[in-house]
Amino acid sequence: MIRTIVGLIIVLALSVVVISSVPDYSLPSGLQGVGQDYTERGVNDTGSVNLVTAVVVAYRGLDTLGEVVVLFSASTAVVLVLTLVPMGANPTPSSSIVAFTSGVLPGSIVLFGIYIITHGHLSPGGGFPGGAVVASAFLLVMLGSNKIPGKSKLLASIESLAGVTFGLLGFWGMMMFGQFLNNMVLPAGSPGKLFSAGIIPLISLVIGAKVASELSGVFSSYRKAGGDE
Amino acid sequence: MTLLAAASIATGVMMLVAAVAALVVKKLISAIIIVGFVSLSASILFLLMDAPDVAITEASIGAAISTVIFLWGKGKIGGEE
Repeated sequence: MIRTIVGLIIVLALSVVVISSVPDYSLPSGLQGVGQDYTERGVNDTGSVNLVTAVVVAYRGLDTLGEVVVLFSASTAVVLVLTLVPMGANPTPSSSIVAFTSGVLPGSIVLFGIYIITHGHLSPGGGFPGGAVVASAFLLVMLGSNKIPGKSKLLASIESLAGVTFGLLGFWGMMMFGQFLNNMVLPAGSPGKLFSAGIIPLISLVIGAKVASELSGVFSSYRKAGGDE
Repeated sequence: MTLLAAASIATGVMMLVAAVAALVVKKLISAIIIVGFVSLSASILFLLMDAPDVAITEASIGAAISTVIFLWGKGKIGGEE
């Protein structure tokens, strides 16, 4: 109890210090610098209506590749550590509500995730959020079943294939225009159409497949290491 | 104050209250569920602030996936606080 109160006092004191150190902070009016440049030229440059995806995949595509590598190494480490943990017993059966829901919902969740991935350049979303949504459907399936998931070569192959394809798409731009991940190797098309925006939809697909398979692999190894809940 | 600002502030206050509740609540499983609720409120806050991209990611990763992983972790270590 005393520890809680002392912690609360320390946090309050720190927040007073932080808040009082920024008294005259004001939001800049309008966009400036690189943000303004992206919003003005983004649609013409990339053909993507969703400017967030244009920045994430086209302008800063190399950073996204780095992010994918970080996720890959993190999931590899989790799987590696969890294979050292002895296999748990079969989890206790879930309640009938969870069991029923996990039989009904995952199909539509996967469909929604695929929609988010394929329409990343048109509506909010893209590869990463869509892949996470697809993975959460697999998570729901695992929650509803009381069996331990078996070994799956498919997940690992999808993951590796997606990673290699991302790199190859980047080198395609390097071969044609001398620039890694150049978006203009495919025609930009008319903005707002499903088949437009150069290689952005392809990269979204690749990222979605990679994120979904990686997260699903992490879940299944957690499940194998024995969750009883 | 506009309706949007009022809703954002209400969501933020709700998040703060829930975050403190997660610290002081006795049962570990309640704390995990409350942390999931904080994530869900954060996702609503992102949506109110015109960032639907971030809101989708936060809702699926923060609210769904990490809550379940915490639950499985609790099942693994067993026991209460």
